[in-house]
Amino acid sequence: MNLSLSGVYRPHSLPKLLTYSSFSTLCRPFCYSALSSSPTCVKPQVPLFLRPPIYSTKLCDLKKWHDWGKGVALSIGSTFVQSDDGPDSSMLCRELKWLMEDAVVDHSLGVEDDDRVKMRIGIEGLYCLWKQRVQERRPFQYVVGCEHWRDLVLSVQEGVLIPRPETELVVDFVADVVSENEDLRSGVWADLGTGSGALAIGIGRVLGSERGRVIATDLSPVAVSVATYNVQRYCLQDKIDLREGSWFEPLKDMEGKLAGLVSNPPYIPSKDISGLQAEVGRHEPRVALDGGIDGMQALLHLCDGAVLMMKPGGFLAFETNGEQQSRALVDYMKNHRSGSFCNLEIRADFAGIQRFVIGFHQ
Amino acid sequence: MACLLRKSLRTKALFLHKLVGNSSDSHQTLASSSWFWCRQLSLSLPHKTTTCFASNSIPSPSFSNALLQIRFWASEAAATELSTSDGLTVQRILANNWTILDEHDGDWRSHATAIAQSIHLIKRRLQWEKLKVRLDMLSFQLGKEDLWDDPMLAGKLSREHGSLLGKMKEVNALEQELLEHIDMIKLAREENDADLESESLKVLLNMRRNAKEKELEALLAGEHDSCSCYIEVQAGAGGTESMDWAAMVMQMYKSWAQRRGYKVTVMDEMPGEIAGIKRATIKVDGEFAFGYAKAEIGVHRLVRISPFDSNKRRHTSFAAVAVIPILGDGSTHVQINESDLRIERFRAGGAGGQHVNTTESAVRIVHIPTGVTATCQNERSQHQNKASAMAVLQSRLDQLEMARQAQLNAKHTQSLTDITWGSQIRSYVLHPYRMVKDLRTNYEVSDPDSVLEGDLDSFILSYLSASLDKDDDA
Repeated sequence: MNLSLSGVYRPHSLPKLLTYSSFSTLCRPFCYSALSSSPTCVKPQVPLFLRPPIYSTKLCDLKKWHDWGKGVALSIGSTFVQSDDGPDSSMLCRELKWLMEDAVVDHSLGVEDDDRVKMRIGIEGLYCLWKQRVQERRPFQYVVGCEHWRDLVLSVQEGVLIPRPETELVVDFVADVVSENEDLRSGVWADLGTGSGALAIGIGRVLGSERGRVIATDLSPVAVSVATYNVQRYCLQDKIDLREGSWFEPLKDMEGKLAGLVSNPPYIPSKDISGLQAEVGRHEPRVALDGGIDGMQALLHLCDGAVLMMKPGGFLAFETNGEQQSRALVDYMKNHRSGSFCNLEIRADFAGIQRFVIGFHQ
Repeated sequence: MACLLRKSLRTKALFLHKLVGNSSDSHQTLASSSWFWCRQLSLSLPHKTTTCFASNSIPSPSFSNALLQIRFWASEAAATELSTSDGLTVQRILANNWTILDEHDGDWRSHATAIAQSIHLIKRRLQWEKLKVRLDMLSFQLGKEDLWDDPMLAGKLSREHGSLLGKMKEVNALEQELLEHIDMIKLAREENDADLESESLKVLLNMRRNAKEKELEALLAGEHDSCSCYIEVQAGAGGTESMDWAAMVMQMYKSWAQRRGYKVTVMDEMPGEIAGIKRATIKVDGEFAFGYAKAEIGVHRLVRISPFDSNKRRHTSFAAVAVIPILGDGSTHVQINESDLRIERFRAGGAGGQHVNTTESAVRIVHIPTGVTATCQNERSQHQNKASAMAVLQSRLDQLEMARQAQLNAKHTQSLTDITWGSQIRSYVLHPYRMVKDLRTNYEVSDPDSVLEGDLDSFILSYLSASLDKDDDA
């Protein structure tokens, strides 16, 4: 990837914002520009909270927007919950608060209605974003351009899977094993299908200042570009190597050398895709969700590849769809790849779902 | 002696008055000069003074200097109480029971009484009589010839001596300054000098405020008083009406904390179905947050015409408040075993993982052996919610441990569930009359709005002072 990111705070999407002349149609002025350009020069968008505060609005206008936004959120009630387990009013209200936090510069807002408030987006833009959130069910994380994940704030945009809270635990598993194993701590780790780069960055920080590093791959140029942006924001360019390509393909040079392998591959069975919550089904990249007929396609492929790519004693952790897949995966690893893996364990997420398979290469 | 005092005082006052003239910032000058007197007082140590007085050399040109020396001699003679020229002492000021008016009412008696009360309080907090005995004993030991045979002990004794002496001097200086300014005001009246009188009044007012601060410092001497804290509010029975009241109480604390310059973070909030909150926890960061907030533990009662009652009837609602100190790094924390914890998604359900896009990432942590739980949902990531909830859990377990160890001081360490609904501490009445009254101290104000907007300090202080009285009785 040839990305010329001169700095973390560079406002790539601002020119588009500025030249957009009319918000009256309330169509979508802020997104997709990146997706439509050619794959080799995908420019990641800057999250709202990092954009320069070049706008200002009167406090009363901001209040008016907030009241309107709250009214919209309250009118939803539990409609979305009933239709597809979407957000309810209280969650939307909280998102509205966060949207305001990201958009408004300081929270020491004035008191008078005529006081000016410094903002990172125009007030029309705020109306537009909130309409997208509620009417189009655009995920909140795409609306503000970031997701808070572990202690990180990661840039995300259409075309990149929004990292899930469940996946945070994978970094904890890695932290546990590297804390007591020098070989793992100084080895090369791989995060396959990295998306926003969440796991790679999380693990990169766990490995700390030692020699260990991470190679992260993704098929999608958008993902690679967003992940690169995130890696740079956390100054991990020297620790994390991003490669574009499918699963192990960009790792030909690493055969038998990987000390660790993690992945949150697409695992939803194809038949379930159509019934997904609108935020997910309509807006997130299908390629990051659809795991084939039984959802296991990518997981099995990863297991097969792991046998070849990992060095003895290497650690692996996969996220799965739940208990059924986890069991099936462990069975596969034990029976079809007997002798390749040991200490296989199924671990639950905080909701009690048997979400992860972890273990070691023999 | 009284005569001499009066004379020299007058000279000093007149001199000062000339010095400051009518300049607008004169009260500053006056204040700083009186501060200077005190300094001189404490600096001009015994050796010279006694001789001066003994030789009975009537102060010739410098009256004020002589005054200082005589005054010092008087206070050095320990038994003699500090007094004004006409014999008014701090005790007598208190005994007069003068009404304490608002600060803005320029009445010297009111200021003097307020200051005298502060001094009295500070002295009690310092255990004044014991302090004097201890100081005498230390002086005696420090005077021994073989003192430095044990340098460790000598160092310890002299440090303690220094620290106690410092405290004593500070209080004495305050007392001295008060009495001198009373003299000054009386003098000004005799001389019909309105300017001087108003200057002195200003100084007294300043002293009154400073003394209040000092009194406060003396009040907040509890072991964990300097800690930050969590404040929890829970709605009582009565549905929406009570939940609305709980939200008002929480808002009151948020405003109070912000006024005091504390940082407020909402940790956890369970909203009511229609309005208000069922329960909420905020974190209040800053020095002495716990020391002040602990005065709020208990049940708060509201009487008003309910906005939720279409028949406009009067309703009584309750909200319980608990305050938990966040122990600093220096304190011993309860060790938490990872294996004793159960961590769960706050609102679990559904397939999770890639199926779901949610910004709801609250977790609940259950400490299995004790059943203590903590939830945090204000953070934007699950990881951060977990970390914050762990901090809350740690504080709760620390608090349990403290309660177990101490078994006394129970009211400060009660958790919400322990607070019986009978332990009402304050009533807020919005209808048919308007009043907020603290049931523990009988302190009351007639402006509920200002209290609900966070103007709580006077309630807190009167409670803290009152609990001091109770401690004394015990």
